Amino acid sequence: MGAAVAALPCRCETLGVSAEAAAILLSFAMRESEAPAVELGRALERLAQGLRPLEGGIVREALAGEIATCVRALQFHDRLMQQLAVIRNLFTRMSDHPLPQMAGFGAQRWEELLAALRERLEAGSHDELFELLVRTGGVGVPGDGGAEQPEGSCELF
Amino acid sequence: MARILAVDDSPSMRQLVKLALSSGGHEVDVATDGVEALQVAEQRQFDVVITDVNMPNMDGISLVRELRRRTNYRFVPLLMLTTESTAERKQQGKEAGATGWLVKPFDPARLLSIVSKVLS
Repeated sequence: MGAAVAALPCRCETLGVSAEAAAILLSFAMRESEAPAVELGRALERLAQGLRPLEGGIVREALAGEIATCVRALQFHDRLMQQLAVIRNLFTRMSDHPLPQMAGFGAQRWEELLAALRERLEAGSHDELFELLVRTGGVGVPGDGGAEQPEGSCELF
Repeated sequence: MARILAVDDSPSMRQLVKLALSSGGHEVDVATDGVEALQVAEQRQFDVVITDVNMPNMDGISLVRELRRRTNYRFVPLLMLTTESTAERKQQGKEAGATGWLVKPFDPARLLSIVSKVLS
């Protein structure tokens, strides 16, 4: 029994390997979804080109409106890619520098996980993660939206 | 019609910005980061540059700063189009010489209207 325990990899090594595997899987999934998103954009472009020769009218306006909706919605794919890239980079850093006290990732609640991350990640990673969460509305402080601009806003200087 | 340079490291975003602006009759070139944008901007004069902020090799704020150093881009509208929306980053863009700050996701009609406004 003692020999079997001794043969097990230490927990930090296991977590390091898991983090590396997670980073690779994320990279693969991101790369795989890029081509379909670009193809969808091309299809929209062809639709828009097809509309150009048409005279103005209710149908044309309606279709142009639908294309605009698609353009707006497809941007959330780009946002997801950005979020996943940040997470992938955090995983990569963990696998490069496996920490001995990562058992906190077994946290059962979101708040516990955040607390574990806050405690264990280096300052730069911590800032990056929390900036991401705040930016995407994951952890918003009620009434603290003053410094943030709403989506789709524009300010000319 | 204006000549517009759209800079973004995301292929789908470049495509969407191009699609939105082309539908307004503009001629659109694209670049994948600040370094490529500078090269393209030196080969061709653009009426407006729209750039993302976070990009590899050279970010959008550095690109704006570099473009403003060139006499032929001193008065050209340079718009930031980004998911970043903190006051701090916006101030950095303003100090670098950006004309405006647009937060993604953009609405195609609104983007066209903003381009018309900065061109006028």
